[in-house]
Amino acid sequence: MNRNSNKLLWVEQLSKCYQNRQAVKDISFSLDEGDIFAFLGPNGAGKTTTLRLLLDIIKADSGIISWNINGKNTRLPSSQEIGYLPEERGLYPELPIIRTLVYIATIRGMDADAARKAAMEWLEKVGLADRAGEKLQALSKGNQQKIQFIASILHKPAFVILDEPFSGLDPINQEQFIEYIKEINRQGTTILLSAHQMPLVERLAKKVFLMNRGEQIFHGELAEIFKTYGHQHILNISFSTEVPEEKLRILTDMQSLVFENSYETKITLKPGANLGQTLSELGKFENITNIKSHQPGLHDIFLQLVKEHQP
Amino acid sequence: MKYLKQVFTVTVWEYRRFYKPKNELVGIVIMLILFSFFYLGSKYVMSDTEKNTLTLLENTAPGLVDTLAKEFDVEVISLTAKDQFLKEIIDEKEGLLLLEKDTGYVLHSWKKPAALKLLQKKLNSYTQTKVVEELGITTKQLDKILSPAIVEQLYFDDSGARSVLVYFFAGLMIMAVLVSFAYQFTAITGEKQLKITEQIVSAIKPQAWMDGKILGITLTGLSSVVAYSIISSLGGMLYFQFTDRPVSNIIEILHLPSILIFLAFTMVGIMMWNAMMAAIASVITDPNNSGKSSLMLVPLIFVVASLLVSPDHRAGVFLSWFPLTSATAMPMRWVVSVVDWWELAGSFAVLVITFYLFRKLAAKIFHVSILISGKEPTWKEVWKLAREG
Repeated sequence: MNRNSNKLLWVEQLSKCYQNRQAVKDISFSLDEGDIFAFLGPNGAGKTTTLRLLLDIIKADSGIISWNINGKNTRLPSSQEIGYLPEERGLYPELPIIRTLVYIATIRGMDADAARKAAMEWLEKVGLADRAGEKLQALSKGNQQKIQFIASILHKPAFVILDEPFSGLDPINQEQFIEYIKEINRQGTTILLSAHQMPLVERLAKKVFLMNRGEQIFHGELAEIFKTYGHQHILNISFSTEVPEEKLRILTDMQSLVFENSYETKITLKPGANLGQTLSELGKFENITNIKSHQPGLHDIFLQLVKEHQP
Repeated sequence: MKYLKQVFTVTVWEYRRFYKPKNELVGIVIMLILFSFFYLGSKYVMSDTEKNTLTLLENTAPGLVDTLAKEFDVEVISLTAKDQFLKEIIDEKEGLLLLEKDTGYVLHSWKKPAALKLLQKKLNSYTQTKVVEELGITTKQLDKILSPAIVEQLYFDDSGARSVLVYFFAGLMIMAVLVSFAYQFTAITGEKQLKITEQIVSAIKPQAWMDGKILGITLTGLSSVVAYSIISSLGGMLYFQFTDRPVSNIIEILHLPSILIFLAFTMVGIMMWNAMMAAIASVITDPNNSGKSSLMLVPLIFVVASLLVSPDHRAGVFLSWFPLTSATAMPMRWVVSVVDWWELAGSFAVLVITFYLFRKLAAKIFHVSILISGKEPTWKEVWKLAREG
């Protein structure tokens, strides 16, 4: 791997085995300074294990993890340089919000006064400044998640791992979180983002890493994944009667078929398929009420790649 | 430096999280109110006690009747009424009948009476008076006969008198361990249940986090115990003041080198126990449903062992070196027996090493156990992961 000077993190041939289960197998990737890097994979793919390996919470069986933060090569950055919002998260529900935020920031090396000032600025930003002295448990789930997020980035880390930052959030809060993530990235924080909400990931990430069953499936620019896998056509078809599965399966260019419900289906055409010919064939179906054609999104590509990777 | 700063931050955090001076003060006030209530109540009850009725037969010696009449309402019945009175005791389940015999006395009562002690005292006094009269000697002469031999005690080493200090520090340690114990479990298992731990271990090494917890909770336990000790000491001094007993007796046994030795053993002992409890708590995910919670009884072994220690026995020597009991047993041996300085230093070194190993073990167990999500790790899994880690 080419270790360019602007590389903040590079991982080579990383592996971790738990008893008889290979959790991570020979994965390699790198992040440049300022990246928003999407780290994707289905449940049990090995994402959390990889994140714990990066943070030195667990040790790798083999492979290399190297960091270059603020021009300093190191095996492991200081806790001040890293932020982490784990998927399994919680704070002290019975304690005042401001006290908890200052505590987390100070054990990451921040001065207590600076931490208090930064915490109040962030609370102001997320609309919770007037509730700084309240107990965390007094807040709604969405607001508690905002506090969790602040706790992970308050010390202005050079690099932050956000593991499922959108889970449990309503659409309004999801939009707010997108803005928060963009803001810390603008301020210079490199972000590794692990999430299952593909439309949101598409709006943020510049690079993507996809893994399944501990193995690397794809690593590259977001544009590249669309260039490689995004040229297929996907047709969403609605029927006035039940979906005629037998007839659809004999379409010339059909690659895969997924039932949305009894009356709707999604067809993915083979790469390089002639859309006009497929539409012509579909014109012979009398009970079609609607056809919508679109290029695959990250969600579709994700499903396709994971499906192809199944043993 | 960073390690020390992190340990200090966690220590202060844990201390502030668990030690609530306001709650402590409320507890002390409630304790004082209850103590005053019971003390004054018992005083009132004692002062207001009515005399018990004691029945005697008409042939009872007049001197005995007079002696007993000073403390009891004496009722004299005829010899023929005796059987009827005994029947009444059974029917009414009350009444005291004292019969005088050549060999002593017989007391008839439905149950063992509350006034038995007083009655015994008066009968002793009357019997002694009778003996004095029969022997033709004076009361002073009788006292001299009964008085014990006078032995003037001159010791080259009077450290034995300081055993009260050992008991004080042992009590302090037992209380501090038991108080800290609950906090330790809440602090560690609570954070695991609240899923705070992963966020924390990404920010701080498990060892620094665990050391901060052990120190913070040790301070919390000590603060509680010291607060209660000060209140108790003040109460004791007031009590001595009002009962005309010299407080100077206690000041005389305050021997600074001994206090420093006892304090060192006590402090390291408390931290060693807290480190051990932290290691156990690190394995437990849910204290309400964990079989490992029975290990919470472990400190009781230490309490019992400490109380049973006999310094001159071989078992006492063993307990004074065994790190789970040495913090109380060695100071005890040191004051009541002959202990070389190397034994004192050796026992202390073993205690310090045990504390060091327990804190390392606690951090290691904590580190590996948080990574086993969804279920509580078995001892086998913890051991395996700890070795791998």
